[in-house]
Amino acid sequence: MSSPEPAVRFLVGPVLVARVAAQRACRVPGVAGLRPDLAQALLGFAGSVLGQDRDRLPSGGVAATVDGGRAQVALTIVTWLGHNCRDLAQAVQREVGEAVTDYTGLEVQVQVTIADVLLGDRDPQERDRMQSAQSPPPGVR
Amino acid sequence: MAVNRGTGTGVEQDGAEPIELLACGRDAAQVWDHAARSELDEHERGCPHCAAAGADARTLDRLVHRMAAEPLAPPPSVMDQVMGAVLAELRPPDLLSLASPYGPARLSRPAAAAVLRHVVDRVGGMQARSCRIAPLAEAGGTGPTAVLVAMTVTAQFGVDLASVSARVRQLLVAAGEQALGIPVCRVDIDIVDVFDDTTPRGNRS
Repeated sequence: MSSPEPAVRFLVGPVLVARVAAQRACRVPGVAGLRPDLAQALLGFAGSVLGQDRDRLPSGGVAATVDGGRAQVALTIVTWLGHNCRDLAQAVQREVGEAVTDYTGLEVQVQVTIADVLLGDRDPQERDRMQSAQSPPPGVR
Repeated sequence: MAVNRGTGTGVEQDGAEPIELLACGRDAAQVWDHAARSELDEHERGCPHCAAAGADARTLDRLVHRMAAEPLAPPPSVMDQVMGAVLAELRPPDLLSLASPYGPARLSRPAAAAVLRHVVDRVGGMQARSCRIAPLAEAGGTGPTAVLVAMTVTAQFGVDLASVSARVRQLLVAAGEQALGIPVCRVDIDIVDVFDDTTPRGNRS
């Protein structure tokens, strides 16, 4: 007769939450990148010069706290002109919240700040979509 | 590397991780030390395994010294990122609220103003100078905060000021909703100067 399996409890740390949130936020269409604060930028600068932490997921631009079963995530993002800022912020909140909850089981509130809107170059993903829509499919003349 | 990890000739030292010896039985670390000090003994000078370990040590030494002598050149984007973070840290947060059912969402007011100036700059006959965005008091407290946009512009000499101003006003209201997601309930336009279209843009005051 086998003994019952021991219960497993795990605690999720804020760094993990921040990395998951950053990973998911960068994949939301319209997000040009995350804007790290001064401390994160300096740490990233030191890491890039020293060649450290290459295999870690980035978390710059994200601040996360975990309290019991709840997490709070604050993201600072940059977008391109052409994406509605309100809709983008809502999409990031929704997608990041779902991703963190799915991965950790935590109840999450996501706060988004759009720090900048890039005016010069348009979203490369959008540009690729436009180009593929304008060019005929292969074999069509 | 000359360190042989497949021979199973490891030696335990005080319960620490076993030391992997060379095939000849010598400790590679000691051979490296002797090679660095140019103090190889008779066996180490004649043994191919020790010679290989010594060559590794000299190669690594050359590499380390060459890398240490190279000037550090961070990627070009790093300085921009750091300076952007420094400036953002120094400036007090200046944010506009965005409507969202999922929690707090905000937009940098300078970024929003830059978008609206960009929209006006693309209108023929007008160039934006300054743009101020001020939130108006919420009527019911539940909907998104509408804003007042006050902009100063310069007009091209000879254009119909009334019609161009009306067009700019329409564009600002549309850009507020479509680009920013913020309702613009009032637009004030101050035309503060005129420019000659033949004057290069950089020379305009």
